[in-house]
This record gives sequence, structure tokens and C-alpha cells, in this order.
Amino acid sequence: MKICLMGFGSVGQGVARVFQMKRDEIKQEYGLDLELVAALDRSGAAINPEGLDLKLLLETKKLTGKVSKYPEYGEEGVSGLEVLDKVEYDCLIEVTPTNIEDGEPALSHILKAMGDGKDVVTSNKGPLALKFSELARAARDNGVKFKYEASVGGAMPIINFAHETLSGCKIESIYGILNGTTNYILSRMAKEGSSYEQTLNEAQEMGIAETDPTQDVEGEDAACKVVILANSILKMDVTYADVEVKGISQITPESISLAKKEGYLIKLIGEVSPDSLEVSPRLVKEGSPFAVEGTLNVATLKTDLADEVTVVGKGAGSIETASAILSDVISIWKTK
Amino acid sequence: MVLELLDVPGQLMDALNPIGRLGANIVAVIHQRDVKTERGTVPVQITIEGDKDTLNEVLNLIEKTGIEIIEVDGILRKEKITTILVGNIVDQDLKDTVNLLNKIEGVMVADLDLKMSDHPEKSTSRIVIEAEQGRKKEVLTKIKDIGNLKGFLVINEI
Repeated sequence: MKICLMGFGSVGQGVARVFQMKRDEIKQEYGLDLELVAALDRSGAAINPEGLDLKLLLETKKLTGKVSKYPEYGEEGVSGLEVLDKVEYDCLIEVTPTNIEDGEPALSHILKAMGDGKDVVTSNKGPLALKFSELARAARDNGVKFKYEASVGGAMPIINFAHETLSGCKIESIYGILNGTTNYILSRMAKEGSSYEQTLNEAQEMGIAETDPTQDVEGEDAACKVVILANSILKMDVTYADVEVKGISQITPESISLAKKEGYLIKLIGEVSPDSLEVSPRLVKEGSPFAVEGTLNVATLKTDLADEVTVVGKGAGSIETASAILSDVISIWKTK
Repeated sequence: MVLELLDVPGQLMDALNPIGRLGANIVAVIHQRDVKTERGTVPVQITIEGDKDTLNEVLNLIEKTGIEIIEVDGILRKEKITTILVGNIVDQDLKDTVNLLNKIEGVMVADLDLKMSDHPEKSTSRIVIEAEQGRKKEVLTKIKDIGNLKGFLVINEI
């Protein structure tokens, strides 16, 4: 399978690393040969129809910060859409940074690939949160596979889990902690009694929170995931603007200690149900499935037949997220 | 059933009187004065025997005397809802906030904690509400509305 990788940041490099680690094993197990024919970052691309050397690609990125410096096959300044025209491939992996303003450039990349009859795997929340129904239709009309497990909860299985493992059940609602950064901050505040600002700084120093933490702490990232789950699992036709969003920046140490007195913790919860799409700080019982610490993600799916089912997993991380992408690629291969 | 009695002399008698009068049989009474509810009342567990009609009549009569029945046959008649508000609680008239909550039908504020912060606009209040069984969702929505009205961050239960 020839693969084109758009985006070579943390997740993109994770994909390259995971391919490197698992290539032989996957070939043996599934008869699938993962061949990366193009990789793109802000600088340009590295393109080799015979397959790129993953070790060399990762080293080049590490040394120069640019995949376009890849010896012999690097091309500076080439755009994503140009790459998709230039190279023969079977599957696009779209992992450029999430943009919740207009979903670009990922949206154009994905639509172009689908239009050309290629399968698409993505972790990119922007296009999914803004144009879910359009993308689902484009995939259907072009007869291609479209998978996005990595867009929600990183390595925590939820989308394929709901569609496949729970395929006999109707999912009535989903409640979950869908953002690892805010869960880390709230867990630390509960443990240390520290202020929000102090804890955010600490999280930034540790690389858990980004320099501009807005998307995480104001609930925007979790809201994107709520939209994806609502469309994909509850079959609702909604977009980002339909979610009521409140973040954690107003949470005080006093509110956490008052909650504790009553046996509660404060968590940023995403709610997906037919009458409510919401991201907000909520009280959860200590000792309940939602009482997870650190950067973990958790989601409880309420079903008609199996009652409640809860999944927990690492919500972020380069290799962890890449694992979900790899699983999507393999499951596409299995249907061929 | 579990009744909620004021901690004053004569209350237990008031509760037990109608039971005997209507011909129901008292099997057990568990009365622990040191166990108190948030409002300082004492829960009393009473087990009675009798035919269905008599028992219903007993419940009616007890309620008429103004004694609160918390639980019948292991089923709570009321549920407790905890919520936390963050914001300028005092300036936004705390009494008015409580009144607004109490105005919701079948709802009563049972307990309230207030923690002031160095910044008055970031005070925190924990409010425990008792509501009739099955009305939680409606009450949570109403609390959210009140929070939006007064500019509070509302942290509701899940």
C-alpha cells in the first residue's frame, strides 16, 4: 500500500516511527506492505515513488527541521495539493495541525484525495468538526474509505469501538473526558491545591500544555471531539457552532476544595446526547469511572442493550496517536 | 419508611400517633438523635405492617402533620443535587440566588457553603438542593439559566 503523509509534526513523525517499528510484523501478519511515498511539512515535501527511507526521513527532520532537505528526493516549497497530483498513492494520512477556523489545508487535502478515489485516514479534528457531513458524503460518492479514530481520544478506542464492537447496540449518549491537558491541570489542582495559572505554567513547562493553550483550556478541542462523536456515532447532523462550550480557566482552588468536601471532583466533560451538546466543567463522583488522573481520556457510552460501557486510554502522544492511525490503515487494508 | 423529624420533644409521638390510630402495626422504630440531615433534622426509620389502603392513609396523615417523608419501601422521595457556582456571588445577591432556586417547584436549598477568594469576582459557593425524585435534569437546566443570568460559572453534576 502506497501512503502519502501530509503533516510531519509530532503525530506525523509518530506515524513514520510506528511504520518503521512495525513494517515487517504487519507484512507477515496481514500481507500489507506499508510504503511511504511522500511526506509533507511546512517546508515542502520528500517524494519517492519507490518508497522513502523512514530512518533517513526522521533523521533529516531532526537535523534540519525540514523534510524538503531529504537527500535527492526533497522538494522545497511544494504544496500539499501539488504533491497529491505528483505521486501515485493508495491512501492519504492527513495529520497537519488542526485549524478550527476553516479546517484548511486539511479539508482541501482530504477532499482532493477522495475525489481522486483514494482512501483517507486522519487525526485532524478541524475538517471533521466543521464539515463532517460533506466529508462523509464525498467518501460515499467516491467509494473510498474514510477513517478518523485518532481524531478523538488519541489511543483510546471509541469510534471504531462503537461502530464495530458495539454494532448491535444503539448508542444513546456519550459522556467523556476528551482532553488530556485539561485533565492534567484539574488533577494537579485537586492534588496540590494550586491555582489555575500556576498549574497551567507547570503544564506548559512540562510540554503537556501548549504555549498558546486556548484550544485546550477553553474547551475548543473537546468541543471538536463532541461534534465528531455526535455525527459519527449518534448520527446527528451538527457542527462546531452547535456545541455549548465552557472551559476551565475560571476554576478556582476553592471550587475544587468545596467539591471535594462533598466527595466530588471537577472535570472538563464533553456531553453528547440528542438533546445536549456541551463541554463544561462538571462534578463527578470520586471513585467513579470519570475519576481518572493525569492526561488520561475516558468515555462512557450509554447503549440500549449493553447499558454503560466505559473506555479509558492515553489521549495524546506521538506514538499513541499514531497507533490509532496505523489501526485505521490496517482495517482499510483488510476490507480490500 | 424514613421520616424527617425536627429535633424537639413530642415530634416522634406526633409521627407515631396516626399509625396506631389507623390500625397499622408498628414493627420497628430506629431513632438515632446524633445522626442529622443537612438541615439539622433527625431521620427516623419506621417499619409498619398493615393492608395497602391503611398504609397509604398513614402516609397521607403523616404528611398532613407537616412531617417530611424521605423514603418509602427503600425508594427515596427526594434526591440531592449538588452544584458549585463560581463568580461574584455576594455582589450578585446571594439571597436572591437562593430565592430563585427555591422558587422552582418542588425544590429546596438544603445547604450552602460560601468561600471567598482574594478576588471577590472569583468566590465559590457550593449549594445542595433537594428536589422531588425524577426532576434532576430539569433542575440542572434551571440552575444553568440562573448562572447565565448572573454571570456565574455553573459546575453541575454529570
